[in-house]
Amino acid sequence: MEESLEDESLLDDNGEAELTAQTALQEIENAWMNETFAPEILPHQSDLVDCMLQQIAHMEENVKRLDKNDLRALVHRMELDRIRYVISSYLRTRLEKIERYTIHILSEEENRNPDEEPYLTPDELRFAKEYLANLETLFKTVALQHMPPNFQQFEVNKFTVKPNVQAHVFLRANQRITGVVVPGTLNEEIDFEEGSQHIIQYSAVAHLVKSGAVQLI
Amino acid sequence: MFGKEAIKLITELDMYEDIRPFNEQVMRQVFKEMQSLYEANLIDSNAIQNEGNNELLPSVHFRHTALLRNKRCILAYLYHRIRRLRQMRWELGSILPTEITTNLLNAEVQWFQNYNKSLATYMKSIGDNHGLNLTVNMSPPKTLYVEVKCLADFGKLELDDGEIITLKKNTYHLLPRATCEPLIRQGFPPDNPDIDVGNVHLRLQARTPKILHLYP
Amino acid sequence: MDPSKIEFLGEKQLVNIVPNFNLDIIYLISGSVGPFRAGLPVKVPIWLAVSLKQKQKCRIINQEWMNIESLNDRKEMEKMSKLFTEMPSNHYIDESQILLNVANDDIPDADRIRTSVKDIWDIRMSKLRTSVDAFVKSEGVHARLDHLTAMEINSIRPLLPHALDQMLRIQSANMGEINSQYSGKK
Repeated sequence: MEESLEDESLLDDNGEAELTAQTALQEIENAWMNETFAPEILPHQSDLVDCMLQQIAHMEENVKRLDKNDLRALVHRMELDRIRYVISSYLRTRLEKIERYTIHILSEEENRNPDEEPYLTPDELRFAKEYLANLETLFKTVALQHMPPNFQQFEVNKFTVKPNVQAHVFLRANQRITGVVVPGTLNEEIDFEEGSQHIIQYSAVAHLVKSGAVQLI
Repeated sequence: MFGKEAIKLITELDMYEDIRPFNEQVMRQVFKEMQSLYEANLIDSNAIQNEGNNELLPSVHFRHTALLRNKRCILAYLYHRIRRLRQMRWELGSILPTEITTNLLNAEVQWFQNYNKSLATYMKSIGDNHGLNLTVNMSPPKTLYVEVKCLADFGKLELDDGEIITLKKNTYHLLPRATCEPLIRQGFPPDNPDIDVGNVHLRLQARTPKILHLYP
Repeated sequence: MDPSKIEFLGEKQLVNIVPNFNLDIIYLISGSVGPFRAGLPVKVPIWLAVSLKQKQKCRIINQEWMNIESLNDRKEMEKMSKLFTEMPSNHYIDESQILLNVANDDIPDADRIRTSVKDIWDIRMSKLRTSVDAFVKSEGVHARLDHLTAMEINSIRPLLPHALDQMLRIQSANMGEINSQYSGKK
């Protein structure tokens, strides 16, 4: 049977704080996996990221006070390396998607329902816009301006690359889910038992990924 | 056949994985071809409009398609080159080796510098402006140890965690990989116990300990 | 996903070690470990166990399921079952590889255990390939994959979705001409 440190309900003086950091870490790992396997960019988790980075900074301060040779320091540093890796990988994956689907992502963000939270952080948005502008400048300078009139346009529509949301993904249901519409079957519906694993088109479960009802694996 | 020059750009991309010298010559040819196609179409379009000569329509359509294809090839060429440049930022860092820069157009160098700046700005903003360098920690941390054999007396070496080991001739040691790499690259460790070998970004993913020889 | 990432996640699993040092509880962000008392077993995540072992500060104890008898039982069950049986850990293959590599001397029968685990893996992978084949051929749109472990899913990740995507592409292209109907079989 699998066990994880999260099963240990050990509390210190800061009992609550410890649990929050633990939970945040697990959630970042979940976000990392989801972002890795989802074809499209997912809503950002900057609160989590910021929280986790704060935890890391705090821990690093504490560790600095320890003797370099102290085994404790070594153990903490190893964990911090692991956490930094997850966060970095998560953010890198998002940047890669931003670079690959720039125009599509910017358009989605602009057309998003004002009630809905943006998927990109303000800094990611800026990066995306800069990336696009940079590309446009290059195209114009080297190519477009040397082309005949009528062909000098930076045709945003034509240059759009969209993620393939019909790609198949693997998932585990975090809870019992009813009424998942199986694509292409004339609205056949299936249920996911809690803990069950499935392969299905991403488009059928995108909303479940974003709500946390399923975990991509 | 129209587009024959343009396809050379694509072929070049396909044949080589690295960034070749920018093919200005072929580029110019393609622009020239586009210009003449365009001019021919202008003439025919006018003829169609003024004289109603609809028999020219297929030719116009054909040239137009060729024009679009040329444009597409050129932009694809540019796009894929900078994607490779982008990759280099992540693998080699913010300063490109001269072997690469000599193959780039000024505009591409400019693109790279802009990308650099953009990336740096973003990375600095992470974690509420605390900053995080995303170009390190590219692979999962592993406390991999490598078995090494010393071929000569090297003296003392301080490891990352403060432990000091003595590298004597013909002794075997299990060293953290992070410590080994620079030593092997340099050929020998600095003969100074106070020098911190530091953290090296690892690209290799060996799973089993290998025996490496440290040369004086 | 790179197998090294799966391994990274697998290293979070807990394992029992016997330290040769004393240390109070370490409050890691992922949870507390310890206290460490020389000679007394304590549970730590595998990434920590490996590091301590390499520094010769502990001895690693077998996971309960890593013994010859129970592995052989599992092997038989896996052979007999058409479906995938439940594995003792979602990371049984990478977990056992890591532990057996680093603690060869601590774990009795390490070689035989390694072989046993590999046999189970082979049986399951063979089943998996057959299932994937059938799935793709039947143009499946959904399948339930309970009891498949992380590394196993990862091994078919490049193949299965891609093959299905290709079929989808071909089908969409034909949509206008042929009135295709998905069978929707599970």
